Amino acid sequence: MVTTHILSAFDRDLEAVQAHVMRMGGLVEAALLDAAEALDNRDEELALRVRNGDRAIDALELEIQTECARLIALRAPAASDLRTVLTVMRIAAALERAGDYAKNLAKRTAVLSQMQPLEGATGSVKRMARAVVVLLKDALDAYIARDAVSAEDVRRRDHDVDQMYNALFRELLTHMLEDPRNITAAMHLHFIAKNIERVGDHATGIAEQVIYLVTGAMPSDERPKAEVVQGAGGRG
Amino acid sequence: MNDMRLTERAVTEKAKMSARKVQVYYGSNHALKDVDVDILDKTVTAFIGPSGCGKSTFLRCLNRMNDTVASARVEGKIEMDGHDIYDTRVDPVQLRAKVGMVFQKPNPFPKSIYDNVAYGPKIHGLTRSKAELDEVVETSLRKAALWNEVKDRLNAPGTGLSGGQQQRLCIARAVATGPEVLLMDEPCSALDPIATAQVEELIDELRSQFSVVIVTHSMQQAARVSQRTAFFHLGYLVEYGETGTIFTNPSDPRTESYITGRIG
Repeated sequence: MVTTHILSAFDRDLEAVQAHVMRMGGLVEAALLDAAEALDNRDEELALRVRNGDRAIDALELEIQTECARLIALRAPAASDLRTVLTVMRIAAALERAGDYAKNLAKRTAVLSQMQPLEGATGSVKRMARAVVVLLKDALDAYIARDAVSAEDVRRRDHDVDQMYNALFRELLTHMLEDPRNITAAMHLHFIAKNIERVGDHATGIAEQVIYLVTGAMPSDERPKAEVVQGAGGRG
Repeated sequence: MNDMRLTERAVTEKAKMSARKVQVYYGSNHALKDVDVDILDKTVTAFIGPSGCGKSTFLRCLNRMNDTVASARVEGKIEMDGHDIYDTRVDPVQLRAKVGMVFQKPNPFPKSIYDNVAYGPKIHGLTRSKAELDEVVETSLRKAALWNEVKDRLNAPGTGLSGGQQQRLCIARAVATGPEVLLMDEPCSALDPIATAQVEELIDELRSQFSVVIVTHSMQQAARVSQRTAFFHLGYLVEYGETGTIFTNPSDPRTESYITGRIG
């Protein structure tokens, strides 16, 4: 994207579809933060807003996919232009999933706010959500800046989110061992934590797309992963 | 910023030219059958289709170029702004000033660059003074994105320019008479890819001022430059619609076969 195309409409098309992705990223980040806030404050109204807001994210994803299909059909993009279109499609799909996780978080908030709170757990979830949103934001910034170095950094930092998840897993396990009446709430919180951890994986996926966009190849090395806790199983 | 693409796609729904039940015969050969189409104002419309499908024939109906072919007979109705262009009171020469044409091969007159552009305004008496004519020449060359390349040698022969420049000179010549519709018959088929891209960019800019109708063998070119696409096959207008729809989800199986390279 250093130089412009002779056919300036091509540039406008590419810029527009990327602007849509950035807007989608903004909506997903806000949804995650709001959902975590709603959980911590037992704010059912805010949780409901997050649930309803997912429709806008889904609509934007559909629009981006349609735009990309048009771009491929009408402009026959090649080389870095082709990689731009391909990465836009994958990033939009990743953001759509992240939006779904925010919606799921908000759904569980409605259930959890009817139960006895687990001390400290929702605060930990909120901190984890914030960390993941920073990761997501950095991945998208790296995308716009075409910055493979920052993208590599995002990949490395997903490790921190994995560790936060593992710590929260232990914390929830302790609550359950202490009092079986905590199990329902702890299970819900665990799903929430797992989903946020997956958003981190999507941020990593976006960072990998940035590396593909800039270098033309996906990073081949295995990404560092935090040790999985007590046979809790790997990701996914 | 988010609505950039939407602006891009937005076209007026106002028809500049409309054709109804147009038939063209070359002697006993029925070359064009029942063509109904509305050419929208300030829109690029592309005609695509295999050789002999009738797309150039139809293009030539829009400024009565078929009048010059002795064996050709045109039936049906073609209107511009609601006026029948085949009315006996219409002077085809005047019509062609309003509906300009650019051909496949650049065909500048064997005259200077200046005279090539000045020719139309002169014969149609569009300017009253030399100063006015100078201005028309400059604006036309600017509109054709050629001014900067030729401003220091306006008296040099037009035939001395490169192929791409010659084609833009022909576009400037067509623009000089203040057309409302510009017809282009394969305007890039004799040009290299860069000159082609320059002409395509020019077409996109000209769209803000008038309608452009382009016949092209390159489906990619139709996809790149047009907002509306018409597919012709065996003398019929098979499908006409928004270019994005034609190239992502055409409704007629013949269109699908053609754009995917299954029939020619």
